[in-house]
Amino acid sequence: MDKFKIALLPIASTVFGIFILMLVIYFSASIPIFQKEGLAIYTTNVWNAVEEGEEFYGVLSAIYGSVYTSVIAILISLPLSIGFAVFVIDYTPKRLKEPLIIATDIMAGLPTILYGIWGAFVLVPLLRDYIMKPLYEHLSFIPLFSYPPITGYSYFSAGVLLAIMVTPFASSIIREAYRMVPRVYREGAYALGLTRYEATKILLSYIKPAILAGILLAFGRAIGETVAVSLVVGNTFNIHPSLFSPGYTISSLIANQFGNAFIYRYMPSALFASGLALFIIGLIVNVSGLIILGRWRYA
Amino acid sequence: MLRKLKEKIFLFSIAIATFLTILPLFHILFSVFANGLPVLMKGEIEFLTGKLAPPDDGLGGIGPAIIGTFLLTFLASLIGLPIAVLTGVFSAEYPKSLIGKSTKTLLLIMMEFPTILVGLFVMNILVLPMGSYSALAGALALAIVMMPYVAVYTEQALREVPFIYKEGAFALGLRRSKVVFRIMMGMARKGVITGILIGMAKVAGETAPLLFTAGGSSRIYFAGLDKPIGAIPLLIYQLVQQPYENYHQIAWGASLILMLIFLAIFIPIRLSIKEVRL
Repeated sequence: MDKFKIALLPIASTVFGIFILMLVIYFSASIPIFQKEGLAIYTTNVWNAVEEGEEFYGVLSAIYGSVYTSVIAILISLPLSIGFAVFVIDYTPKRLKEPLIIATDIMAGLPTILYGIWGAFVLVPLLRDYIMKPLYEHLSFIPLFSYPPITGYSYFSAGVLLAIMVTPFASSIIREAYRMVPRVYREGAYALGLTRYEATKILLSYIKPAILAGILLAFGRAIGETVAVSLVVGNTFNIHPSLFSPGYTISSLIANQFGNAFIYRYMPSALFASGLALFIIGLIVNVSGLIILGRWRYA
Repeated sequence: MLRKLKEKIFLFSIAIATFLTILPLFHILFSVFANGLPVLMKGEIEFLTGKLAPPDDGLGGIGPAIIGTFLLTFLASLIGLPIAVLTGVFSAEYPKSLIGKSTKTLLLIMMEFPTILVGLFVMNILVLPMGSYSALAGALALAIVMMPYVAVYTEQALREVPFIYKEGAFALGLRRSKVVFRIMMGMARKGVITGILIGMAKVAGETAPLLFTAGGSSRIYFAGLDKPIGAIPLLIYQLVQQPYENYHQIAWGASLILMLIFLAIFIPIRLSIKEVRL
């Protein structure tokens, strides 16, 4: 090893150190609640925060809400991001191409609090009056639409806002992959006399792994998003099948409760345990996304 | 016939998808301007320098938050940039070594890491022992968020320098540290600076890492590194949740300022390079 490497090594290891320290802190801070409740912290939906008497915490509703809102976001974002990628690469006039891509880059980097204030003051009332209310009035016998949308703050609002936020990101991954499809495939498809629809279907099947990676990474981003979601999700301990019901997500639970958690004995630990769940879900989702993407690029 | 129809429907729907993807951006830009500009006009210069007004009583200003955002971004850069740039150098110089390779992977993972967890982490290691929210804790949290972006950009910029320059520098008998910092860094300058600016633009708009670290301050400009400090995104987050009409207006005004700061950094970078990774 040369001197230069030895000199840089401690600095490069700092990043590892931070990451490992984070993992250690999350584990050790969660220990009190695990000792007290065991896995019930993840499997029950209770929030008994009392200064005197028996405290009990179960964050199932937050885990449920995190997954629910992120799944809604992905379901909306998937067709949009694929459609955007294909349209920009194949069918946009040259002059429009760059502006469209710049627009999505700005969206991907825009401070999330701006999505939050827009979501809370503009998007939620729109969704409530033009989508949620009509659906509830006519189709409330379907469980998905069975909750009366009084305020509009709900899983659905959070899911839509998250979809808007992650679509540019997902589509940039899909776009890069779609651009790399070798030209001969395209020529071959058209030479067979296929329509543009049929040709695109074939080309997209070639980049399936990249699409999957895009979905996973977008899911990871959606599940970790905090402030924008916490302003529109309603922040209620709730496990309800309806899209229009208010709920919690792990990150909004932490954002909302951690400020005054320290007057209770076990609440900080309970929140760290929920953070640990988010840590691990995020890690699994993002690592699998990165692995799939890396493998596909390598191939 | 059916095939032609399907093709028409397909083209129509991807055009709609494209429209729907970017529509929210324009709606957000429009909403922030439409709601924020009147506030700025009414609040005048006082809005940029003054302190937060009491509930239901005028606009006052967001001075402490603006100062806080600049100070936090500066401090975060001070802590994060040296480590990030050197980490980038390391993984570019030793891409085949185990540590070099895993550093790159870890950086990519940390880019996607939920930022609220960074905030909670810093709260535990810094705020609890010190006993108070502080500018220092906020800056550390932001530095951790910023590091992976800057490191990844630095690494890519260094890798893009043609190999012959490196060979030439070594052939002159320069030491490795001189080769990297005098020759390679000079040539990769643009990419590295882009990374630094992107990292700064990113953390200037972050809210979640500051929630339990910076603490927020809307009436005191700066009390010391070990005391709470404000930030524009944090202030917006807190004001939106208040029931007072004037606080909502102030939040819109602050949003407009935040958006202008972000666009002022981001658009020049974006126009000068081809691809941005956020």
